[in-house]
Amino acid sequence: MSFREKMHWIAFVALLLAFGWYFLTYPWSIVHTPEGVGAVAGMLVPVTIFIIGLMTVLSAAIAIRSPKDANIKEDEREKNIHLKGTHMAYYPLVLGVWANLFAIFHHISAAGRLNLLIATVVIAELVRVGAQLYYYRRGY
Amino acid sequence: MPRLPFDNDIKTLRFMAGEMTQGDLGDKVGVTRQTIAAIEQGKYSPSLEVAFRIARVFGKPLEEVFHWAETGA
Repeated sequence: MSFREKMHWIAFVALLLAFGWYFLTYPWSIVHTPEGVGAVAGMLVPVTIFIIGLMTVLSAAIAIRSPKDANIKEDEREKNIHLKGTHMAYYPLVLGVWANLFAIFHHISAAGRLNLLIATVVIAELVRVGAQLYYYRRGY
Repeated sequence: MPRLPFDNDIKTLRFMAGEMTQGDLGDKVGVTRQTIAAIEQGKYSPSLEVAFRIARVFGKPLEEVFHWAETGA
């Protein structure tokens, strides 16, 4: 498994764990109140720190174990895999934007729209990284 | 996954070139070992540039490394 594929696995698991925790523990009872926005902001801080921390520590550990792999430049197959993944993530991103427009027109609360935006980004990221992992596993 | 309409002799050529590893060939060509493996297995169609680079490593013309499959598209 290449260094970049390992990094993708770490990103995928970090996203699942961090935002899994976020959406499971978010206080949905206050989503329609102004405090709901504060809760989003407050919970995004540990989520961000967790993702950055986990990715930094694990990528450093993998790079120390196999520095040669970590220094290899991205080649054409990997660039194509990244383009395919990004292309596939475009669709959930567009759907999420439309869902947000719908939410604005229907006067959904600010915290509700924020959570919808976060969910959009998270789903798009999971699709992007997941698709790239699929292509890495398949060979292309 | 649709099969590529061509196959290749990279594995044989590597063996004949002093049992060159996929990693060694990747280093010479400028791609990763995984990409060489994917090309060998017919999973990935390399760019013309990479195909030429592979052929040049073995000192062969392109058509002696990659062969259009008669039954292919």
